[in-house]
Amino acid sequence: MNYGPLVFLAALFALASSWVGFVLAPQLQVGQLQQTNTVVATPYPIARPGLAQEGLQVYRANGCNSCHSQQVGQTGTVCDVVLTEPGTNQPALIAALQTVKPGLSETEARQFLSGLPKPLLHGLTKEAADQGAKTLETGGAKAQAWIVPTGPDIARGWGKRRSVAVDYLFDYPVMPGSHRVGPDLADVGTRQPDLNWELRHLYAPQAEVPGSLMPPYRYLFEKRRIEHGPSPEALHFPKEFAPAPGYEIVPSPAAKALAAYLVSLRTDAPLFATPFTVASAPQSTTTNAPAGGSTNAAPSASPTQ
Amino acid sequence: MNAQPNPGLIEKAEAAEPKAGRTAVPVWLLVLTLVLIYWGMVYFDHNGGWFHQQVYSPYHSLAEVQRLQLSSAGGNLERGRAVFENSCALCHNTDGMGKPAQAPPLAGSEFATGSPTRMIHIPLLGLSGSLQVKGQEWNLSMPAMGAALSDEDLAAALSYIRQSFGNKASPITPQQVKAVRAQVGSRTQPLNAAELNSMQ
Amino acid sequence: MIELASSQTVQAGGRETPSAITPAEIDLSCRAPLLVLFLSAAVWFLLAFLCQLLASIKFHSPQFLADTPWLTYGRIHLAGLDALLYGACLQAGLGVALWLLARLGRTRLAQAVPVLAGAISWNLAVTIGFVGILAGDSTGFDMLELPSYSVLPLFLGYLLIGISAVLMFHQRQEPLTFASQWFLFAAVFWFPWVFSTAELLLQAFPVRGITQAVIAWWYADNLAVVWLGLVGLAAVFYFASKLTGRELHSHYLALFAFWILILFGSWGGIPGSAPVPAWMPTISTISRVLLLVMLIAVALTFHLTLAGAWSKLKSEPSLAFVAVGTAGFLIAGLMRVSGALLDSQQLLQFTWFASARTQLQLYGFFALVMFGAIYYVVPRVTATAFPFRRLVWAHFWLAFTGIILLVVPLAIAGVLEARQLANPGIAFVQVSRATIPFLRASTVGDLLVVMGHLVLLVNLVALVTQFYRVRAAWAYAAITADLYQPAEVKP
Repeated sequence: MNYGPLVFLAALFALASSWVGFVLAPQLQVGQLQQTNTVVATPYPIARPGLAQEGLQVYRANGCNSCHSQQVGQTGTVCDVVLTEPGTNQPALIAALQTVKPGLSETEARQFLSGLPKPLLHGLTKEAADQGAKTLETGGAKAQAWIVPTGPDIARGWGKRRSVAVDYLFDYPVMPGSHRVGPDLADVGTRQPDLNWELRHLYAPQAEVPGSLMPPYRYLFEKRRIEHGPSPEALHFPKEFAPAPGYEIVPSPAAKALAAYLVSLRTDAPLFATPFTVASAPQSTTTNAPAGGSTNAAPSASPTQ
Repeated sequence: MNAQPNPGLIEKAEAAEPKAGRTAVPVWLLVLTLVLIYWGMVYFDHNGGWFHQQVYSPYHSLAEVQRLQLSSAGGNLERGRAVFENSCALCHNTDGMGKPAQAPPLAGSEFATGSPTRMIHIPLLGLSGSLQVKGQEWNLSMPAMGAALSDEDLAAALSYIRQSFGNKASPITPQQVKAVRAQVGSRTQPLNAAELNSMQ
Repeated sequence: MIELASSQTVQAGGRETPSAITPAEIDLSCRAPLLVLFLSAAVWFLLAFLCQLLASIKFHSPQFLADTPWLTYGRIHLAGLDALLYGACLQAGLGVALWLLARLGRTRLAQAVPVLAGAISWNLAVTIGFVGILAGDSTGFDMLELPSYSVLPLFLGYLLIGISAVLMFHQRQEPLTFASQWFLFAAVFWFPWVFSTAELLLQAFPVRGITQAVIAWWYADNLAVVWLGLVGLAAVFYFASKLTGRELHSHYLALFAFWILILFGSWGGIPGSAPVPAWMPTISTISRVLLLVMLIAVALTFHLTLAGAWSKLKSEPSLAFVAVGTAGFLIAGLMRVSGALLDSQQLLQFTWFASARTQLQLYGFFALVMFGAIYYVVPRVTATAFPFRRLVWAHFWLAFTGIILLVVPLAIAGVLEARQLANPGIAFVQVSRATIPFLRASTVGDLLVVMGHLVLLVNLVALVTQFYRVRAAWAYAAITADLYQPAEVKP
């Protein structure tokens, strides 16, 4: 029997089916995503500004994705019971606190009431947390069940929630990375919004993170003689990393772009697929000004903050 | 002549091309394959989210994700509060007390605690002209802030207003919002006091 | 030109009668293309692992050569990886595939000149791509970093070589096929299909968003697990039987492995924590676990074919290479299965464990099997023995100890890293620094592997030099035969 056509057809069938499963289906399912709304009706994601997009190409060209990943993982979700407002009836509230959290003494309960909002219980299911919140709402007190994603990445502060498909909508190339020789960068813009820190870290990683294994990227910077006074862009380093006296370190356009890109990396908006409760600023009840700032932007859950 | 340059290279007779025996695949291997396929099906059933686009690990089903959403049902006002703070608090203030010469208060307002249908009309069409709220005269104009919101978001925000700042009124459902939207149709002209006060 | 003693052949336009073609003739027809492919592959192996050695040193000494953009870790690591994959592994694999198809089909190499052109085009493409990555033009996609301008010559090279393979399969004389031919025939089509899909959808008409990463993962897995697995296993089954002089234990077990590999193997690319809907990583996990039965089938076949002939490992370097390569294949597969099932925290996949597994698959399995094949094939296509048999064994021992020292410390470092990363109280820098002793050990492994490749190159160059020297002597003797009494020719 001539097995040639059989082998060909077998290979064709096998590859065609995996093509349908992992090329066509993802394209239909997540390849046509559009900008979506977060849970609080703001568009997400926002396209990166131009300098950050250039920075993405610098990131790609220098192979940063071979040491850094850009995907936060999540292994579970728990609910917290959070008391947000104390209301007016303190004794009833203290009794309720003791019902919800058995073993809480009165002094502890009184101490708890200062510095709200504060979580009372951690790690419950949604139903138990809703129940607990309802019990606490006596005498005008307000309590909520907060949804908190959990996982080693989140515990390490690498993100508040897991990364999902729509986080990568406007990037080319998308580089979620496969090695973590360095920390995950998906949300680095939230934990390190300082451009200068990023620039100093690129020039001398060991200056900002002692013991770091990251190689220095000095070729992205220019060491030049101070002519008519120090440049406003010059970076300042501790003594062992500073250049010789009379010289200053100035970032090149590539370094500035890369830093802008890193600072633009955020995944802190709650979405349908990855719900979590964003802690909003405490409400001000004494002035007429909007709580949390003097801008027009809402104080909570805005991805541009 | 012209024998191979290194006649001694392939000393032993070159073994014939390999052949393969015809032993059958052991049955236990086939059984193991079937067991693993079965395990795969169970594993997929548990973890695969049934191909749903919005189900990411660690969630196992769409229902699990939906349960964790903020909703205005069951007295959970988080979503409404978020929409309110985004859209309404700029003028009406986060504590619902309003701002002089900008927006009337919502706390204790008859329009906020009264008829649901009337209240829904306000953000959908906006207001203009003189209006009495809580005995005070307000002669400003309100844009149709709710026109761009979805039914769920607007219902959540209005429910939040009706159950906060000391107000104790019934929540508003997305279906009610939808009905009023259908009623309003393509009208863009804001309401005035006469129309508002004559509504049920 | 030296003529070999050949029997009468009927060449008038039709097929040659089966008994007429000797293996020696088949080997002779393959000589030029195979030599080009294998020599180039040997050079790329050396270059790739030199890059990797450099990258490995940079881990525990980040300041090493840090001021040259061309040698920064990100670029040199990726350039080395692509050089290993495309320059070394794929070329050696294609060479071995051509020879196996020719021998098993009892047919001469089809279209030798296009194959030669294809090999040259391929090398050109990989060189351009290698330099491009170092210059900063890498694409950012895992295992597909070759810049877009090197893609067309690469694809063209493959087409030229692949057409020859298909022709040889079509012209085969044997009515019954040996299992290896199934593997090779499928592999010939596999690469252009996945490569063209990946290049079209990632470079030419890029898809949007995370779909790029999905397609990149799909491609990388199909290349590293399926294609390398198909060609590597074809060589393993052939040489296990050939070098021991026994029948392959079971044709059906080999075919079973084939079916499992192609049906389930191409679904395994998506990592567990990927930012994609849950069904994709779930299906990938299931696929990786299902490949367990393929591993068992291969282990059974190999073990039962070699049963009682283990002593041949000491006398045949090719068999030693193939045996260690098979062990590498099985261990890499088991690492994949355990990574899929035991990584509930989704941490292990980002550690050195994954790196160790890739090294084992690419080098510990595929490259070693290819070396075994090269050490068998090259003497036969040139009818010249390797001048220094001890050096062949030296290569084996260097490769063997090298791969152990390369992979084992990295795997242990990965497991330790995952344990520590699960504890948020341990700072990341601490976790990183804790892996340094293991990285140092793996640098030593890298060094041994590099030395092994040097030895391979020395072996091949010595053989080719010997071949040309003998040829020159014969040509001289042939020209001067009628001038002098037939004298004893000293080769």
